[in-house]
Amino acid sequence: MNTAYDIIGAILILIGSIFLFLGGLGIFRMPDVYNRLQAGTKATTLGGMSTILGIGFLMVEDYWGWLVKAIIIVIFIAFSNPISSHALARAMYKRKHYPLIMSKDENMDAYREVADKNQNKEETI
Amino acid sequence: MKKFLVLLILAVLGYYMYDALYGIGIGIPRFTDGVKDFYLDKTVSQLHVANTVTSIVVNFRGFDTLGEVTVLFLAVTALGSILYKKRHDVGTRSILFSSSSIVRSGSKLLFPAIVLLGAYVFIHGHLTPGGGFQGGTIIATGFLLMLLAYENFKVSHTVLSFVESFAGILFVVIGLFGFMNGGTFLQNFLPEGALNNLFSGGVIGIIYVMVGFKVATELTGLIYTILHEKD
Repeated sequence: MNTAYDIIGAILILIGSIFLFLGGLGIFRMPDVYNRLQAGTKATTLGGMSTILGIGFLMVEDYWGWLVKAIIIVIFIAFSNPISSHALARAMYKRKHYPLIMSKDENMDAYREVADKNQNKEETI
Repeated sequence: MKKFLVLLILAVLGYYMYDALYGIGIGIPRFTDGVKDFYLDKTVSQLHVANTVTSIVVNFRGFDTLGEVTVLFLAVTALGSILYKKRHDVGTRSILFSSSSIVRSGSKLLFPAIVLLGAYVFIHGHLTPGGGFQGGTIIATGFLLMLLAYENFKVSHTVLSFVESFAGILFVVIGLFGFMNGGTFLQNFLPEGALNNLFSGGVIGIIYVMVGFKVATELTGLIYTILHEKD
């Protein structure tokens, strides 16, 4: 009953669910939009990829196409998730939403000057 | 006087609507039971389609789907006529700001994958969940991604309206072909094939492909119109 594919798939799903839990905890716990994006992106990228790959391994004995489809979805997540969170963080930065640690620092004015100078550059990051 | 006339017309219309709807008996169990069993029985035995929702949308209620597509077309046309005045006199430009190079190169990679997923969804509409409307919407989101990433990404309205009209005409023509075998509108005239194969269900798959093309082009034109303004 328990073949090697089943064990590999179960371990991958366990890793993925742990990372997804940590991502959810991070979004709940973190104070700032940038911190929340970091938690929500890094953790859920690995979590989602690992969970979907685990499902592909669990179903591979029924039909090998499951694993191929799972790998395609994993590649799609590996591209789309970091790009979307980068666009979100960049939009927040462009809207002059500064990180929390900057607004508590005593050198905040200097930071803001640098940030404003970077924003006004038309050059894309 | 005008208000009185309007009220009179509404009263006459309301009377006939009440008269027509009163006899249907919406909500009584005999009504729902019979329809449910009819659909569940005939989907596999008559149409050879695995997806019951698709068989209802495209075959049993296919004429309503034609109306639904027409409503979408009219809504897009009306919105375009409001938002898109005099586009031949002055150029248009995107209202978006330029995006970063990461988004630009990433969307180039993701765009074919999104279009492929949309095509997959509407080609397999009679086998898996989803169908023409869903697949067309996925393709339109791919175009939305490209429009967000490249502020000078152009979509040709000529090609869009050609594809849209062609898909709509083909829908109606396939429906009219049903008359050829002495049947009704949208009746199947192709071989039915084995259940759960890609080439099964006769005309249902072809009609869903047409609906997918139509929805995709309509929504792409809508998004393009909303994201652009007069220069």
